Amino acid sequence: MNLLKVSNLYKEYYKEDKSSINVLSGINFSINKGECFVIIGPNGSGKTTLLRILGLLEPPTKGQILYYNEDLCNISRYKKVQYRRKFSFVRQKPIVRNTSVFNNIAYGLRVRGMKWEEYINDVNDIIKLVDLKGLEKKNARSLSGGEMQRVAIAMNFVFSPDLYLLDEVSANLDPMNVKLLDDFITKIKQDKEKTIIMSTHDPLEAIKFGDRIAVLNNGQITQLGTPNEIFTAPKDEFTALFVGYENILSGTAEMDLKSGLTIIKINNLTIVASEQVEGEVKVCIRPESIGISKNPPSNVSYRNNFKGNIEDIRDLGNTCHLIINCQSERFLATITKLSLNNLELAINSEIFINFKATDVKIL
Amino acid sequence: MSNDIIDGILEAIRLLFTFDRELWGIIEVSFRVSLTSTFLAALVALPIGSFIGLREFRGKKTLSNLINTFMGFPPVVMGLIIYLLLSRSGPLGSLGLLYSTSAMIFAQFFLAVPIITGTAKAAIESVDPTLKETILSLGASERQLWWELIKDSKKSIIAGFLVAFGQAISEVGAVMIVGGNIRWETRTFTTSIVLNTRMGEFGMAIALGVLLISIAFIVNYGLTRLQARGG
Repeated sequence: MNLLKVSNLYKEYYKEDKSSINVLSGINFSINKGECFVIIGPNGSGKTTLLRILGLLEPPTKGQILYYNEDLCNISRYKKVQYRRKFSFVRQKPIVRNTSVFNNIAYGLRVRGMKWEEYINDVNDIIKLVDLKGLEKKNARSLSGGEMQRVAIAMNFVFSPDLYLLDEVSANLDPMNVKLLDDFITKIKQDKEKTIIMSTHDPLEAIKFGDRIAVLNNGQITQLGTPNEIFTAPKDEFTALFVGYENILSGTAEMDLKSGLTIIKINNLTIVASEQVEGEVKVCIRPESIGISKNPPSNVSYRNNFKGNIEDIRDLGNTCHLIINCQSERFLATITKLSLNNLELAINSEIFINFKATDVKIL
Repeated sequence: MSNDIIDGILEAIRLLFTFDRELWGIIEVSFRVSLTSTFLAALVALPIGSFIGLREFRGKKTLSNLINTFMGFPPVVMGLIIYLLLSRSGPLGSLGLLYSTSAMIFAQFFLAVPIITGTAKAAIESVDPTLKETILSLGASERQLWWELIKDSKKSIIAGFLVAFGQAISEVGAVMIVGGNIRWETRTFTTSIVLNTRMGEFGMAIALGVLLISIAFIVNYGLTRLQARGG
């Protein structure tokens, strides 16, 4: 069963002169429990409005949001509060209450009726996690921007909601805080009871966390699919321009102690990467980094060589995109029109693709 | 004439520093009436004002305009209305409250309610909307949100209370009409100044005037301090 089903959602804003603008027009999607759903789009595409509506912070003009089969657009004030308590809404620019760091972080637990002795341990644990130990008694509004963001992260995550709504949370963070947030999101993703809906304008972030990605443009979802579907086959020009092209594969990484390289198992394929990691990973290979040859290459430095079939050829003027199927993994490669003609490539041609271990980017 | 002024000032100093019984009686009545009325008004106006500030509903604009109009309601007219209500033939005449401090509290209460309602509403509305949303998204109920917003805007709310108190204690028309300016009973700073000036008793008038200005100064000083304080 779907956790959340959004159908035909519209949001209109009225301007001063009574004319209206459609911020969201006809949004449809559904989300499963345990999923990480990423909404990607440029500024002004309606990402924040969509998340605010899902967070019950503003009503849609029309449409339906079913959460476990209850329509969230048609419930009493009291029920709205009960549902909001299952959700967490983290905004891009955090704002904290005019009180101590501890009180700010404890607030979400306190409004849920928890007593001091019930929440003190949870709050202290998360204060350690976000590295704010020693600042508990300081007024949160007197902290630096980065510290305040960590308070905001802690206060939204401490009550362990069922649904996390994250609105471009990493947009203004410094690298250290991005790392902290990444660790949190990774941990939440492992818990299959928790669902995440996040918005971003950063394609790499979308690839990194998204189980599925929705591309939002001008208040409409133009494409919805897995990261690999979106990045290897953008449906329209906007999506292509905005997200770019990437080959995204997920698999399990293991270190090879002899060579010092990382071996990544992706279904039937084994990829070699130079970055050292272990465990579940997503890897990214730029289409420009993939070389094509007609015959099995010999004596080359490329660590990754696979045989495949050309499924599709897209003409881009002086270059073209090849969609290559290697043991049911799809790769996108960019080559020049000249090479295409020289190699006499056509749909269904059998070819070999190769790319360097150093070109395998691990996310 | 100049003799009158100098005599008046000397007499004022004497009255103030000899702790004249009548002078202190007037001070006591003025403070009792204005503090009680402002306090009672706050009890009623704070919930109303913050509720209007918090919720969106139809007719809110009209209601806001109405409150703003009543914030500058002429005290004399308020005195007249309360007089008509409390006079022997009026609807509340049987209470026998006319020419008592209760009647004065009544009149000042109705003058203070719009002021405190209006400032509380404005204070709640001026809170950063993203703070409101953050508090809601953290799971607060409407009452919990309301309490947080009151806490966040307490400076403006206290300021509204002080403004209402300052208006009440320096107001003359309403207390004159419904209090009757009865010596030892309902005489206040302002009504006493009016009476003593009429009678040429400038000493008492100046002494009371100086005190009233001092109170105004203290209230304003308090407001400035409040606004200057961070957080």
